[in-house]
Amino acid sequence: MSSTAAPLLQTRNLGVRFGGLQALEGVDLEVQPGEIFGLLGPNGAGKTTLFNLISGVTPASSGEVLWRGGAIHGLDPNRIARLGIARTFQNLRLFQSLNCRDNVLVGLHRQARLPWSDALLGTPRAHRHQRQLLEQAQELLELLEIGHLGDQQAAGLSYGDRRRLEMARALANRPELLLLDEPAAGMNPTEKEALRHLIRSLRERFALTVLIIEHHVPLMLGLCDRLAVLNFGRRIALGTPDVVRNDPAVIEAYLGGQP
Amino acid sequence: MDSLLIDASLLQQMLIGALLGLSVYLPLRCGQLSLATPGFYAIGGTLAALLSTRVPALGGSEPVYPLPSVLLEMALAAALAGGLAAGIGRLVLRLRGVYLAIATIALVEILRVTTLNQESLGGAVGIFGIPQPFLDPEGYALFTLLALALVCWLCDRLERQRLGRAMEAIRDDELAAACQGIDTDRTKLVAFVLSAVVAAITGVISAHFLNSWNARLGNFDASITTLAFVVFGGSRTWAGPVLGGLTLTALPELLRPIGDLRLIVFGLVILVGPLLLPQGLITPARLRQLTRRLRRRATP
Repeated sequence: MSSTAAPLLQTRNLGVRFGGLQALEGVDLEVQPGEIFGLLGPNGAGKTTLFNLISGVTPASSGEVLWRGGAIHGLDPNRIARLGIARTFQNLRLFQSLNCRDNVLVGLHRQARLPWSDALLGTPRAHRHQRQLLEQAQELLELLEIGHLGDQQAAGLSYGDRRRLEMARALANRPELLLLDEPAAGMNPTEKEALRHLIRSLRERFALTVLIIEHHVPLMLGLCDRLAVLNFGRRIALGTPDVVRNDPAVIEAYLGGQP
Repeated sequence: MDSLLIDASLLQQMLIGALLGLSVYLPLRCGQLSLATPGFYAIGGTLAALLSTRVPALGGSEPVYPLPSVLLEMALAAALAGGLAAGIGRLVLRLRGVYLAIATIALVEILRVTTLNQESLGGAVGIFGIPQPFLDPEGYALFTLLALALVCWLCDRLERQRLGRAMEAIRDDELAAACQGIDTDRTKLVAFVLSAVVAAITGVISAHFLNSWNARLGNFDASITTLAFVVFGGSRTWAGPVLGGLTLTALPELLRPIGDLRLIVFGLVILVGPLLLPQGLITPARLRQLTRRLRRRATP
């Protein structure tokens, strides 16, 4: 099960149908540990749906999702999160009424466990524990360059800062696999370039594997080790940026075929 | 507090109101609109009335009912209500929003009608002559104040901890909370059970204080009244329902001339409150502002 080349995440013949719409069909992917793996595709191609299937938000209609060789499709989102898969949301799902620090603290849920007697009585251990959590939260906020916004309510943040906070919260889960759903949306070219460096440095720092959805093709070609391209729920291409760039099926999906 | 306006008896009722407000608040902190509080309150009250009048070993015939017996009743009521909540919660907490509210109203009604038709539970007449552990309202008020302080302290600890944060996260976005590894079903169930326990021990105190108990004490009106406590006071922190419970219980007494208009006032509060103060009277932000102002005044 765990040979050196074993994929961290694997989907086999994965499909989902919403009523009459086959949103995904027969998708096979293998994501290797330490990879930055990109998902490209036109709107409605099923990229976010694939994220929803992996993170347990939407149940699959067919096929399977394997994590380190074990099946995880059908598990609740909280179980999958605890396995080490964290995600961000394309349409931003922050805890609006909480401030930035508390948003990240919720992300630290798994590490915040404390014997209830300590929690109840506020023992020195509980204080130490709380201080450590706050330090971790602040560190993550600073890593995403929103360290000064700790007290600010999430609902009042700018669009870019919300995206950063979502990433900070996801990183707080201490994931092995990070699913980023359009992290560059709404960013200007300079910010996009900074994001590219940030994602690479996060991979080194946290020994992450990253699965990323993004529409900005130059960013993806420069960032990802491998890419898969989806169109109408099917995988139409797979490979290194160079391979995908020259794939006729990809060119047709993006630019239209010969008349 | 003005002793001319508020006597110990009214104070006692206000403290009971604050406890019931906290019971409604706990599930609401994770976004669960449960109106089951009066049902669990009635379980506590009925249990206390039955035990203290029908089990001689507890000391019902003594001139002053022994306090340890009251504490025993509270423990039993907490266990019974908590166990029932754990069982029912698994089913009803799958419902969302108004459907959960309807299911919990049904629970309150089932308990009420069962008590009403079961002679052994007091039937339509109720149970009278519940023995008194305290001889004056002051004693009750002090005891209830201690219970309220304990529950407030527990809520305060809870809010600062992992579980309290998880509850807030579920209220804001249940799916996103689950994606942070929070077991949302379990967290909601814990809140529901805690709510039932608080309501049940309040019922025990109330039964002794009222001296008699009947099925009407846990009805739909009580659901709405206790909900008004939280809507008025605020559901973001424990101080909100406490303030709401205290003021809204005192209000009808202080406005005795309007008497039966009380329900209309509650209706108006539920209607107008969310419009003017969408988060209730007390919010964490307002509390911070207040403490800052008090500190500034303390150090001129």
